[in-house]
Amino acid sequence: MSLALQVSGVRASFGDLEILKGVDIDVPFGEVHVLMGPNGSGKSTLCHVLMGKDEYDASGSALVGGTEVMGLPVDERARAGLFEAFQYPVEVPGVSLNDLLREMGEVRQDPGFDSRVESAAETLDMERFRERAVNGGLSGGEKKRSEMFQMAVAGPKVAILDEIDSGLDIDAVREVAHLVEELRSDDLGVLIITHYSRILRYMNPDKIHVMVEGEVVRTGGPEMASELEASGYVDIAGNEATVPKPAVTPFDI
Amino acid sequence: MKTLDAQASAAAGAADPGWLAARRQAALDYYDKLDMPSDREEVWRYVDLDFTFDDFALVEQPGEAHDIDTGIAAALPETAGWMRVVDGHATAVDAGDGRAVFGSLRALLADNSELFEPHVAQGTASDLNKFAAAHTAFAGDGAILVVPPGAAIEQPFFIDVQAATDGAVAFPLVTLVTGRSSQASVVIRYRSPDDVNALVVPNLELVVGANSQLKVTVVQNWGTNTTSISHLRAAVDRDASLHLGEAGLGAALSRLELQIDLEGNGSSANVVGAYFGDDTQTLDYRYTMHHQGLNTASDMFLKGAVQGESLSIFTGMIRIDEEAQKTNAFQTNRNLILSDGAAAQSVPNLEILANDVRCGHGSTMGPLDEEQRYYLMSRGLDEPRSNRLLVHGFFNEALERFPEPAIADVVTSWIDTKYRAAQEAGRV
Repeated sequence: MSLALQVSGVRASFGDLEILKGVDIDVPFGEVHVLMGPNGSGKSTLCHVLMGKDEYDASGSALVGGTEVMGLPVDERARAGLFEAFQYPVEVPGVSLNDLLREMGEVRQDPGFDSRVESAAETLDMERFRERAVNGGLSGGEKKRSEMFQMAVAGPKVAILDEIDSGLDIDAVREVAHLVEELRSDDLGVLIITHYSRILRYMNPDKIHVMVEGEVVRTGGPEMASELEASGYVDIAGNEATVPKPAVTPFDI
Repeated sequence: MKTLDAQASAAAGAADPGWLAARRQAALDYYDKLDMPSDREEVWRYVDLDFTFDDFALVEQPGEAHDIDTGIAAALPETAGWMRVVDGHATAVDAGDGRAVFGSLRALLADNSELFEPHVAQGTASDLNKFAAAHTAFAGDGAILVVPPGAAIEQPFFIDVQAATDGAVAFPLVTLVTGRSSQASVVIRYRSPDDVNALVVPNLELVVGANSQLKVTVVQNWGTNTTSISHLRAAVDRDASLHLGEAGLGAALSRLELQIDLEGNGSSANVVGAYFGDDTQTLDYRYTMHHQGLNTASDMFLKGAVQGESLSIFTGMIRIDEEAQKTNAFQTNRNLILSDGAAAQSVPNLEILANDVRCGHGSTMGPLDEEQRYYLMSRGLDEPRSNRLLVHGFFNEALERFPEPAIADVVTSWIDTKYRAAQEAGRV
């Protein structure tokens, strides 16, 4: 099976702080994977490094549908087929969602774009948000829904959903999980980043990867979810000492 | 061409009724007495005037009107009346259907002297500065609108103010009066060709009658060699509202000194601005909102951007008199600095003498937001395109509050073009 995302030996540091110490993850097309780990383990950093945020010194390889994206500007990674759903979707005052969609369509020159917009707007009940400012005044759940809408419209090969369940009540978590399952397709690989196992109750991931201290320490099937729920990351890591208590956490890395 | 002296003042006022002749004479005395303003005065700080009145002359015959239609006329398919003022002379008038008195001030003065007396040349005080004095001393013509009580006129009146003669100074006067419980909208466009080196000193006087609603949209798009020093004074009566939008795009130097007096109880003013400087332009705004009546409300919301080596200045004063209890007053000024060589000044001021008011101000200044740009780029938009969308969004927040949406759309397209041109020339 061909790979939507192939991450090999990705390292990243922020100043003197080494956050990712050589990460390898494969996500085949058609599959939904989950990357879990305690706060500070480097999950969100991996997400930003793959998307190309320039505040990290990063190295390694990341193939999106076979195309190397490391070293490319953020927008070229997006157009190569990588999509990031943000943990904290940014408000863009004065720019309506329709303005953004129009620009997304123009840069893609994809004849199917407009029809994807219309069908996803209906499926995800986004019509009433289209003339409003991007993420402006939306609730947590509405922001996540808007991210899923943009993902459906962008038509990516790989979607990384960063803390897609954070800040949501249980109904919203269930709804997001169902949206992910609805968007599952043979042309897409999904990597969900979370540190709670609760979203796994409502979906059927193909694989779970556990990251601790900037490394993937274990990869397994969906049955790992219940193990995690019962015992937490300490036992999964197999070594209590490796669970980090960083002295400095400037932000949720 | 005439230099600015007593003879020129007398010529401009040849047909004045007595009350206007007296105002003109008083203004001429101030003009002779006052020096050119200096940047040592707080209200002129940051502005370097590198010219004098002697560099310009009054024209007896207006230059040829030009017709660069940049979309404003097309955005106003139906007007309640329109007129053109070139080099300070009214040259074309469509007075509309007679529901209001509208047209050339000079032409209408003889028959309407009593109607105009309380309002004309009564706005900005002649002793405010040498430009204000010069205006009243030398203004010969302009536009006047008097809306009778109770008239509700949906379509806007359009006033096309032009400078057409190189080396000319002009003093267009625009007086807008709304009678009790009336409604009107006026669009004023300023323009000149880029090769016309002219000085224009417009005065706008707004008299907003009790319970009336006046909307005024000013589109400043002077050519790159025109200097404009303008004043606006508004008096808002009981339960009346003024909605003013100003877009500042053109001119070498454009200054607007504005004072709105919320005189009547329950009166309100909503003032919106969008200004965008490039090259070596200076855009200078000095706004005063003066709350005098009970229960008055005001909101000033201005967004400006500077690129190239341009400079913008906004000073906003909210003054609340001791009697003006229950006032709500807010001012917001946000600035985008798009080039290293550009600068913006933002100075909010409050002077509150009443003790039962709600008042707030905010001022920000900075480059485009990096997190917003990252977000847009993560959607596949390249950096220049992301920046264009952010600039568009920045101004959209002001332009969507403008009184005439069709005009705001035209201004939006000019702003988008102006930023894109700077991107292509590498100035941002």
